[in-house]
Amino acid sequence: MRSGEPGGVAHLYVHLPFCAARCGYCAFVVEVGRDDARDAYLDAVLAELERERGRLGALETLYLGGGTPTLMGAGRLSALLAAISPLLAPGAEVTIEANPETVDQNLMAALAGAGVNRVSLGVQSTHPHLLGVLDRQAGPDDAARAVRAVRAAGIPRLSVDLLLGVPGQSQADLAADLAWVTEVGPDHVSWYELEFKEGSAIASGPHLPPDEDMSADLYEEAVEGLEAAGYRWYELANFCRPGAECRHSLAYWRARDYVGLGVGAVSTVGGGRWRNAPGLDRYVAALGRGDAPPRTQEPLDADTRRRERWMLGTRVDEPLDMAWAGSPDRPAALDVLEAGGLLERGRGTVRLTRRGRLLQNAVMQEIMDF
Amino acid sequence: MDQSHIRNFSIIAHIDHGKSTLADRILQLTGAVSERDMRAQVLDSMDLERERGITIKAQAVRVTYTAEDGEAYQLNLIDTPGHVDFSYEVSRSLAACEGALLVVDASQGIEAQTLANAYLAIEGDLHLVPVLNKIDLPAADPDLHARALADLIGDDPEHVLRISAKTGQGVKDVLEAIITRMPPPDGDRTAPLRALVFDSVYDQYRGVVAFVRVMDGGIRTGDRVRAMATGSGFDAEEVGVMSPAMTPIGHLSAGESGYIVTGLKSLVDLRVGDTLTLAREPAPEPLPGYREAKPMVFCGLFPVESDEYPDLRDALDKLSLNDASLVWEPETSQALGFGFRCGFLGLLHMDIIRERLEREYDLSLIATTPNVEYEVTRTTGEVLAVRSPVDLPEPNHIERIEEPYVRCSMLTPQDSVGAVMGLCQERRGTFVTMTSIENRQQVVYDMPLAEVVLDFYDQLKSRTRGYASLDYEMVGNREGPLVKLDILLAGEPVDALSMIVHRDSAYARGKGLVERLREIIPRQMFDVPVQAAIGGTVIARETVKAKRKDVLAKCYGGDISRKRKLLEKQKEGKKRMKHVGNVEVPQEAFLAVLQLDGQSTR
Ligand SMILES: Nc1nc2c(ncn2[C@@H]2O[C@H](COP(=O)(O)OP(=O)(O)OP(=O)(O)O)[C@@H](O)[C@H]2O)c(=O)[nH]1
Ligand SMILES: C[S@@+](CC[C@H](N)C(=O)[O-])C[C@H]1O[C@@H](n2cnc3c(N)ncnc32)[C@H](O)[C@@H]1O
Ligand code: SF4
Ligand SMILES: [Mg+2]
Repeated sequence: MRSGEPGGVAHLYVHLPFCAARCGYCAFVVEVGRDDARDAYLDAVLAELERERGRLGALETLYLGGGTPTLMGAGRLSALLAAISPLLAPGAEVTIEANPETVDQNLMAALAGAGVNRVSLGVQSTHPHLLGVLDRQAGPDDAARAVRAVRAAGIPRLSVDLLLGVPGQSQADLAADLAWVTEVGPDHVSWYELEFKEGSAIASGPHLPPDEDMSADLYEEAVEGLEAAGYRWYELANFCRPGAECRHSLAYWRARDYVGLGVGAVSTVGGGRWRNAPGLDRYVAALGRGDAPPRTQEPLDADTRRRERWMLGTRVDEPLDMAWAGSPDRPAALDVLEAGGLLERGRGTVRLTRRGRLLQNAVMQEIMDF
Repeated sequence: MDQSHIRNFSIIAHIDHGKSTLADRILQLTGAVSERDMRAQVLDSMDLERERGITIKAQAVRVTYTAEDGEAYQLNLIDTPGHVDFSYEVSRSLAACEGALLVVDASQGIEAQTLANAYLAIEGDLHLVPVLNKIDLPAADPDLHARALADLIGDDPEHVLRISAKTGQGVKDVLEAIITRMPPPDGDRTAPLRALVFDSVYDQYRGVVAFVRVMDGGIRTGDRVRAMATGSGFDAEEVGVMSPAMTPIGHLSAGESGYIVTGLKSLVDLRVGDTLTLAREPAPEPLPGYREAKPMVFCGLFPVESDEYPDLRDALDKLSLNDASLVWEPETSQALGFGFRCGFLGLLHMDIIRERLEREYDLSLIATTPNVEYEVTRTTGEVLAVRSPVDLPEPNHIERIEEPYVRCSMLTPQDSVGAVMGLCQERRGTFVTMTSIENRQQVVYDMPLAEVVLDFYDQLKSRTRGYASLDYEMVGNREGPLVKLDILLAGEPVDALSMIVHRDSAYARGKGLVERLREIIPRQMFDVPVQAAIGGTVIARETVKAKRKDVLAKCYGGDISRKRKLLEKQKEGKKRMKHVGNVEVPQEAFLAVLQLDGQSTR
């Protein structure tokens, strides 16, 4: 395995899997009804941090994701952040994901004090009926309250997560979400298309995803609405006010090395990738014994890395530097795609057009041999 | 055995009326198959026969039966297939017999193949023993059907046997009737050998095995034999009978049936219908043979993966070792690459061959729309047999086109006669006659075979709630105003989608087809026009609209492999597509024509 980037890994993800209930569309590594295990889990994560510390350099970004990280409670989160802070570079981005109904001013104040400077709020929808379809715990007013709490605590940066293509969602529903975002004015918005993931409750019916034209209409409406409100469509599903990109996510899209701690977390360092196995107890037990957590290794050969750089690098609006990414498997496809208005070329660079972005999968299939 | 103690008979019936089950009971009652080895339809030995529950290949067996009169008789029975695709097997089998059991399901009565097979037997001067089967079924109406069956063959209703092949009830009476009512053979045992080859199989180890009925003279193991039509000669390496396993007995005399191991290397060297005679004392005249089974339906078979082409050729080679009715020749398609144009007896035969190729030889295939063989006369007077739309000359070089016609006989309940006639009319049929048979009507139409092979049978069934049955036979070629319908994708004609259609139905076919293709072809990155055209004139057009959006999975928490694997999986799906120019076409598209009612769905 090649060693990582010089200076060490600069991006750290910590997975905090506890949730009050599993939302019907969610297929992430989540633990429901295991709040009793939070202390042990914290210890285990800290132990894993110790094991991985050697790989880490000055951290440019830290991301506490979930699950519902806020369910860890102020004390444990502060302890976790205290252990990590010495590793942070000056000006590091420290994000925590938060479910609106779990946010209050005290918690936010504690997090601000512990170094959090960015909150990603899982709003998903502003409509009670769609929140119902999604099995969300939060009501429509929780989001606004959470926003106030974040701001009152002085946390400078706020992102909201929204979903489109929720069964039953009309263009008018989406327009209302847009109006809400415009009014609240977060500096970053992630507007994901709802995926019907294998294994999630929603994928087993009775709801169906909207057809291609409907979801394209919704997508375009979201993009155009946010752009009109002054956001930049800087990644397929992400929008920001000038300078407010999510630096942690950018690291993924730029194919940088990162380390992930916790159950289900993924790390990519040098030529290798590994994933901690899901399963809270096994994770806690292994680290308790002083062992590495159960993991699956995935060696990444040069071709895989090259294809991933294309796959990731064409998600963002900055041109992909082909000298950095490596050559396309089918260079001739670039001409066809350019002529068809799906991508633009600069000097040694490639960037998807607006139409091309919505067809990123198809474009990738043309260019690369996955 | 003395000829007076021999009976040769076939079991004939409409599909599923219980021929093979009756054969089971006969094998059991005569002790030919032990209780331990007995299973349902024991003679249906091919996997496909067992799975589909139908007989595909006729099977000859010898059993010995000790009759009520205390004498032992040699019974040579042939179980025949009921499906119309294999009706030539019935004619062959009948040629080897003096009698036939005409079996009719007592709950269904006379059906189309009952009539067809009964007429074949009557034409062949065979003695028919009528049998009503399945009298154990609650829906059985033996009285009604006995009268009709007796009428059909000019017999007394009292003579109609009533049995259940399932329970065995009445089967003994069947055996007695065979002895008492069917005539024994009367060949001349002192005359030179004349043996009719009524079937043959290829055995990997022993070469061609001929199934014969000895008409005159006799044959022994070791005899030098000559096939009178092909002229090929061989030594009879083994002479025996099926009972039901191959059992060598060394000798067959006039009146008897059995097998001969010929050592020949190919079925081509020994035609079914040929007469065998002895080289040292040849017969002056061969027996009247019968016409060869001719392929009626053709389609292109192409490997999905082009590197499987040699495997496909080998597999076809092997299958035709044992199936002389399967013909094939190489074909090249711009859209599908290298493959073969194959000829079949009918759609069931085609289906079976395709399934065997895919299953037994592990191939994955694309089959193009089946078509018939056209006889095309060029303006120069030259006559061509056209088995693929691609081979049709340009319209201005065609003097005339003839297509094969079949005489379709459909048996239908009174209240569906209108529906049946409507369907036949739609499919360019010309009315021939109508007769009532018991409580039903026999409707006879002459129809272009091309109209019958597509989905005619399914339509007939669905329009008569499953009650009508169909049989057909070739009646020769007739001229018709036929045109080639081309399908263009993104402006490029796709050879594998062309078809030959009647001028009057071209518009409806073309429109229906482009509509279906628009649904089947996935949206691509660019608009794809789908057009139907005749001789360069577009008659229907649809557009597969350009794709607007993919499902754009994100890479949450650095889970990049998940997204990459989604792309890899998508790639697998794309591999199963065929590239036609710039357009990706799923395999179903090449069968779109089959699922079509011939009409536009709008
Ligand atoms: N109830 C009942 N069912 C029967 C009887 N004889 C046959 N069957 C059933 O009818 C079906 C068809 O029987 P087969 O013996 O395969 O019919 P077949 O005429 O040989 O069929 P093909 O070879 O396909 O033409 C099977 O499901 C048999 O079990 C009977 O006497 N009574
Ligand atoms: C892993 S979740 C955790 C965040 C937090 N627990 C929540 O639910 O708000 C991160 C984001 O992924 C998105 N997400 C989750 N499941 C998704 C799905 N099936 N399809 C698309 N986006 C999904 C949601 O927008 C969510 O805010
Ligand atoms: S969507 Fe968020 S809150 Fe819901 S189960 Fe998944 S991680 Fe937990
Ligand atoms: Mg049978």
